[in-house]
Amino acid sequence: MTPRIKIIEAPALTGKRRALVLMEDRVGHYPEFRAFFDRSFDLGRVGLSKPGYVCAPSSMVYELCFIGRSGEAFPSGVEISAIVDALEPFDETVVDRDLWEILRWMIEGAGAPWSVEDLDATGKLYRIPAAQ
Amino acid sequence: MLISDLPSHLRDQWPYAPKYARVNGWRMHYIDEGAGEPVVLLHGNPTWGFLYRDVIPPLLKAGYRVIVPDMIGFGLSEKPVNEHAHSLDGHSANLAGLMQHLKLENITLVCHDWGGPTGLSYALSHQDKIRALVIMSTWAWPAPPAEFHTRIFPWRTMHAPLVGPYLLGRHNVLAGRGVYLSVVDREKFKQRGMGAYEAVLPDPASRLLTWTWPRWIPLDNSARANERFRWLESGLSRCKLPAMIIWGREDEVFDAATFATRFKKMLPHAEGPHLVTGRHFLQEDSGPEIAALVLQFLKKLPAR
Repeated sequence: MTPRIKIIEAPALTGKRRALVLMEDRVGHYPEFRAFFDRSFDLGRVGLSKPGYVCAPSSMVYELCFIGRSGEAFPSGVEISAIVDALEPFDETVVDRDLWEILRWMIEGAGAPWSVEDLDATGKLYRIPAAQ
Repeated sequence: MLISDLPSHLRDQWPYAPKYARVNGWRMHYIDEGAGEPVVLLHGNPTWGFLYRDVIPPLLKAGYRVIVPDMIGFGLSEKPVNEHAHSLDGHSANLAGLMQHLKLENITLVCHDWGGPTGLSYALSHQDKIRALVIMSTWAWPAPPAEFHTRIFPWRTMHAPLVGPYLLGRHNVLAGRGVYLSVVDREKFKQRGMGAYEAVLPDPASRLLTWTWPRWIPLDNSARANERFRWLESGLSRCKLPAMIIWGREDEVFDAATFATRFKKMLPHAEGPHLVTGRHFLQEDSGPEIAALVLQFLKKLPAR
C-alpha cells in the first residue's frame, strides 16, 4: 500500500502543544535519507528558518524540526513531534501507527535500494503492531 | 535501573554485588567476584553482564577472579542519550578506564560481539596487561563482517535513520525478539533470559546504543571505524598472546566457517575453533560448556 502522508503548511498552534515522539541524531547515516528531507522541505533554501509539517492517516499533524550540527551537512538530525491538544494526553497507538506511515513515506522517498516492502517485512519480522 | 528492579526469577540468576566506577566521566556498572587471576568477560549489543550468568560460577569455583563490566549504554551502566556520545575508541577507552581503576594485571579477556572490537583494541594497546584472549562470535577487520550486514532486509532497514529509533527505540526489538531469534533454545531463553535484557532498557532513550552500534559496522571505505578496524586486523595478525576461539555451531550470521576460520588464520597459534551449541548469543545455550573450555585453556597456559 502506498504511504499516506501529505506535506502541509504550518497549522494553527493555538491551544496545541508539540509532543516529541521520535528523534534521529544522524539522519545522514545513509545520505539518501538526508537528501529526501532536503528535497521534500526545500531545506537548502529554508534552512533552520521553519519546521516542516505533515498530515498522517489519523488526520493528526506532525512537526519535523531539522537539526544542524557544526561540520556536518544539513540537516544532521530530525525531531518529530505530534501536534496535540495542549492539556490532554495523546493516544500512543494512533501515534505509533502514524509514525510507521511516516517511515514508509520516508523509505519510499529515499528510493532504491530501500523499499516499503522491505520495511513492512522488517516490521512483521519484529512483530511491530503497525506493520501487521 | 538497579538490579533490585529485576523480577525475582531473573535476580536469582544474578546474585552478585553491583559495583560502580567512573570511567571517562560515565558511571560504569560491573561485578568483581572471587580472588586469583582475573578473567574479564565482555558482552556486546544489546546484552549486559547477565549474558555470562552460566559462565561465571565455574570460573569462581576454580579460583579465578571474575570481572564483568556493563558497557556504557547497556545493562546497569549509565546510558547516554545522544548518539555522538558513542564511538568505538570511546568504548575501548572506557574499558581501559575500568582496568586501570581495578589495577588489573595478567588479564584473560573473553570477548563477544562488540566486546570483540572494544576488548581487542584494549588488548592490543595494553598487551603487557593481558594473559590470554578468548574470542567468540565477533570480528576484527574493516570489511563488512558478514553478508547479512550488507542486506537491506532486515539489517540495514532495521537501523536506518528514524527506523532505528522507532524499531529498536520505541519497540526495543533487538533486546527482545532480536536476541530471541539468535539463540537455539528459544523457549528456555524466553523463560530465563529475555526479560533481563528487556528490563534494563526500559525506555526508548535508554536503548540508543542498540541502534548506534549497528551504524558503527563498516560497510564501505567511508565508514567511521575503518582505520581502527584496519589497525585491529594488522595488530592481531602479529599478536602472539595465547588465544582460544569458541563459536556457536548454529550461528548463521557470524558463521563459524567464515569468522572462526578467519580468526584462526590471523592467530594460527590459537586453540580451537571449538564449536558449541549456539547461535550468535552462544552463552545462552552453552554457558557451562564455554566455562569448561576457558578453564581447560587456562590450565594449559605456562605459569607466569
